[in-house]
Amino acid sequence: MSGTKPDILWAPHQVDRFVVCDSELSLYHVESTVNSELKAGSLRLSEDSAATLLSINSDTPYMKCVAWYLNYDPECLLAVGQANGRVVLTSLGQDHNSKFKDLIGKEFVPKHARQCNTLAWNPLDSNWLAAGLDKHRADFSVLIWDICSKYTPDIVPMEKVRLSAGETETTLLVTKPLYELGQNDACLSLCWLPRDQKLLLAGMHRNLAIFDLRNTSQKMFVNTKAVQGVTVDPYFHDRVASFYEGQVAIWDLRKFEKPVLTLTEQPKPLTKVAWCPTRTGLLATLTRDSNIIRLYDMQHTPTPIGDETEPTIIERSVQPCDNYIASFAWHPTSQNRMIVVTPNRTMSDFTVFERISLAWSPITSLMWACGRHLYECAEEENDNSLEKDIATKMRLRALSRYGLDTEQVWRNHILAGNEDPQLKSLWYTLHFMKQYTEDMDQKSPGNKGSLVYAGIKSIVKSSLGMVESSRHNWSGLDKQSDIQNLNEERILALQLCGWIKKGTDVDVGPFLNSLVQEGEWERAAAVALFNLDIRRAIQILNEGASSEKGDLNLNVVAMALSGYTDEKNSLWREMCSTLRLQLNNPYLCVMFAFLTSETGSYDGVLYENKVAVRDRVAFACKFLSDSQLNRYIEKLTNEMKEAGNLEGILLTGLTKDGVDLMESYVDRTGDVQTASYCMLQGSPLDVLKDERVQYWIENYRNLLDAWRFWHKRAEFDIHRSKLDPSSKPLAQTAAMFPFFRKSPESKKPSAPETEADGFVLLGDTAHEQRKAAKGKTSEAEDSQPLEWTGQNLSKFEPLVQ
Amino acid sequence: MFVARHIAADHKDLIHDVSFDFHGRRMATCSSDQSVKVWDKSESGDWHCTASWKTHSGSVWRVTWAHPEFGQVLASCSFDRTAAVWEEIVGESNDKLRGQSHWVKRTTLVDSRTSVTDVKFAPKHMGLMLATCSADGIVRIYEAPDVMNLSQWSLQHEISCKLSCSCISWNPSSSRAHSPMIAVGSDDSSPNAMAKVQIFEYSENTRKYAKAETLMTVTDPVHDIAFAPNLGRSFHILAVATKDVRIFTLKPVRKELTSSGGPTKFEIHIVAQFDNHNSQVWRVSWNITGTVLASSGDDGCVRLWKANYMDNWKCTGILKGNGSPVNGNSQQGNSNPSLGSNIPNLQNSLNGSSSGRKHS
Repeated sequence: MSGTKPDILWAPHQVDRFVVCDSELSLYHVESTVNSELKAGSLRLSEDSAATLLSINSDTPYMKCVAWYLNYDPECLLAVGQANGRVVLTSLGQDHNSKFKDLIGKEFVPKHARQCNTLAWNPLDSNWLAAGLDKHRADFSVLIWDICSKYTPDIVPMEKVRLSAGETETTLLVTKPLYELGQNDACLSLCWLPRDQKLLLAGMHRNLAIFDLRNTSQKMFVNTKAVQGVTVDPYFHDRVASFYEGQVAIWDLRKFEKPVLTLTEQPKPLTKVAWCPTRTGLLATLTRDSNIIRLYDMQHTPTPIGDETEPTIIERSVQPCDNYIASFAWHPTSQNRMIVVTPNRTMSDFTVFERISLAWSPITSLMWACGRHLYECAEEENDNSLEKDIATKMRLRALSRYGLDTEQVWRNHILAGNEDPQLKSLWYTLHFMKQYTEDMDQKSPGNKGSLVYAGIKSIVKSSLGMVESSRHNWSGLDKQSDIQNLNEERILALQLCGWIKKGTDVDVGPFLNSLVQEGEWERAAAVALFNLDIRRAIQILNEGASSEKGDLNLNVVAMALSGYTDEKNSLWREMCSTLRLQLNNPYLCVMFAFLTSETGSYDGVLYENKVAVRDRVAFACKFLSDSQLNRYIEKLTNEMKEAGNLEGILLTGLTKDGVDLMESYVDRTGDVQTASYCMLQGSPLDVLKDERVQYWIENYRNLLDAWRFWHKRAEFDIHRSKLDPSSKPLAQTAAMFPFFRKSPESKKPSAPETEADGFVLLGDTAHEQRKAAKGKTSEAEDSQPLEWTGQNLSKFEPLVQ
Repeated sequence: MFVARHIAADHKDLIHDVSFDFHGRRMATCSSDQSVKVWDKSESGDWHCTASWKTHSGSVWRVTWAHPEFGQVLASCSFDRTAAVWEEIVGESNDKLRGQSHWVKRTTLVDSRTSVTDVKFAPKHMGLMLATCSADGIVRIYEAPDVMNLSQWSLQHEISCKLSCSCISWNPSSSRAHSPMIAVGSDDSSPNAMAKVQIFEYSENTRKYAKAETLMTVTDPVHDIAFAPNLGRSFHILAVATKDVRIFTLKPVRKELTSSGGPTKFEIHIVAQFDNHNSQVWRVSWNITGTVLASSGDDGCVRLWKANYMDNWKCTGILKGNGSPVNGNSQQGNSNPSLGSNIPNLQNSLNGSSSGRKHS
């Protein structure tokens, strides 16, 4: 405290007060700002606390050290050690009726003037104050004063009194200490030992000494350089810390010969070391010119003597502010809280956090432990502000029977929440595949049915070199375009794309109507245009513009369309090719791309990624030659596989290619649920047997188990066994009794939870289950719990019927 | 997005670990007070402590559940140099009537000469196995050859890591394409530049664990490590808590391309690295799908991380250790008070959410 570097102290009893001292003493009051605004004149200490200056005391110049009186006092009684070795009692209170009134202003004067380095109040005998002084020849360096001792006896030599010239009330001078210790030495730091009020630990010039006031002629000491800042661990009274330059030494007073531990050396000299008063084994240290408080978390009670293992120490550091820290003080009662002060007297109040351990539960709630407290944190179900995680999505989808609608297959995307365009595309694809497979099987059993599930890529390949193009008239326009003659394969492809319906009729009318109905005006217009019906396209756009939610701009687009001219060098063409890039809607964009394209080069349409894959593929089937089409499909398939885009299942079908695609989808999303249900939709056995597919299925079942969706898992297994009879023909009952052990309380029918899906869990004694499990271990080849449960089913059966 | 509530834990000292069972219906906590507590979730969603007992003669660092297929089984490890396996005793007793359950020690694993810092059961498909690691740098893998007899555990493997170990994580993948694998982290703080994460893989040929990979870029002390649930992915995800949060992916290089027989080679990528905790990161934990990572650090906050469809990881939530939310905008993580900064007064709106509901 050389006048520039402030120190800071919490009041030992009035825990909302602290003092900052440099050239003067400033008393502050801390308030929580949690429920109130920051008051005018307050200083913000942290997000939720602020300090108000209560009073300033500048009566005591040349302060070297300050110690707060340990007993409760409304007056804020402080002892101040000065550069001349005097100790002055002063206060910051306003209460002049205090019982300590008489003490204020009292001075304790050593025989010879030298710096007072340290002060320590005795924690038990509250009137005892120890002062540590610099060396002065053979004089004593540790003086213990009794602050209640009588005033200066008359025998005090006159020269002593003269020392305090200017003092008006010489009667307040005390010159006779209770004890004088540490002769011919210097004292740098002091602390009383809590185990006995008569024991004083002092950091002397070259040693640590324990003085016993019952016998002042003797002392226990150990030679060391670590003599600064001696401080006793408030939780283990035999543990003491002291420091020297960058090094902290930890001592065990029971074996005082050498430090039990020295902490890793810090690059700069230490200025303060303090044990946390509210938590065991936490030591805070501060070095010069640093904005970091380094903490040593001694995770263990001091080891008993003779044990060689070092205690586990975890080093941590906190940075309470950006500036250098002049000093810090632990809050006496608030857990792990401290206040720091910077050289320019800004202050900051913060809490050192305990190491938090945490764990996720399978049902998306997070539990963590901080200190001695537990906190649980659950995702709010009804919060739509953020996209739900796939774990939550899968759980909700499992509850809504997602994947299990095997009739109206497309409806599964509705069950999935109708929010994901890729899932929508996937389930429509699977729906069409199912529909046309059945169609084909009826027409010519055992013929091409399996081809449908192989995807458009295989379908198109199978018809290589058989298609010729011909010129078609535009309806309502004097124009012709080359369109591929549609063979059976291309028709099937268009059907899978959803453009045309069952039968040989190649009319897109119904499809357009359904798009219009759903308000997909731009898409409908584009499809109409691709079918060379520009009038219909314009009509749809007009309709869209006049509809309730329609966009009036569609009229403008319609107008632009109607101005279409085949003239190569027309202004229309020029403007459309440049302005179309500014259209936000991809379908509007590709319409103009189509109209302005050269015959046979449709890249503007084919590679517009924002247009649905099914529309682009249908377009390609209509306009590309066989070789072009093949190349395009090949390219697009690879793109889809790489991206794990489910729209690509239209191309790959449920083949190995499809598994590859699904693999990147799972890698990207973790959605094993969709992967499992998709592959169980109609994959041939060799695909189902793919290790990856089996692995997804296993993982999905495991999720259902973790969520205790026994019923859902049973449904899933039944669904699975329909397609893959080899997946262990499961007795339906077996699926409902997954192996798990529950303590007998569960015998009382517990109210079924929502996620438990209405199934009351049947308790079984551990013994029975151990017996049952024995059956399993004998053939512990495969750890699927169901298999052995099935073997022991006989005793369950009556329960299930 | 998330709301926290307080649960009266009633531990007498710091809690070091929290662990859920397979279904998330039971929870275990352990503490420096040398005890383990088991908690059961009631139908209303509240947690009730149903067992609390002294487990060790030192701080209990970690507690973990076996898969319920093996019964209600816990393992704990401690500063007292041991790990222990516990089983719930089912039967009518006075305890039952008081809603308490009774746990007995089935075995004590005493092979370590130093503090046992972590214990984890192996994935279910490997059988009833558990791994421990200790401050003396040895990972030990034990197996109960007879799952019916929890008092017999044989030490199957001892893997020397050369560095004081702080944490282990089994690769949870049950795919036949992936061999059993365990990652080990070290919190050795001596100033050397040695890599602090090692990954060992079991070889069918040698019947031994051999080092498959070392994460050379992690040279600072590691406090926690966690493989993400594999969930059918073709690669593995590993989160590391060191001076920052790091997420690695390990893509097995196809077997055909490597010399057969040797350990699997991996393409290792670091996909995320966040220093928002300002300093040390203490724990990492994955959700059930391995899509959200939670981490805790020296800033006293719990942070949630999630990847978007582009595999860009981002912070999606921050909560203070005491359960109150942090201003969502201040994702730079400077939750430490800096003077004069005008931090909006959040608490008003937050108090309603972190209700101090008490339990037990």
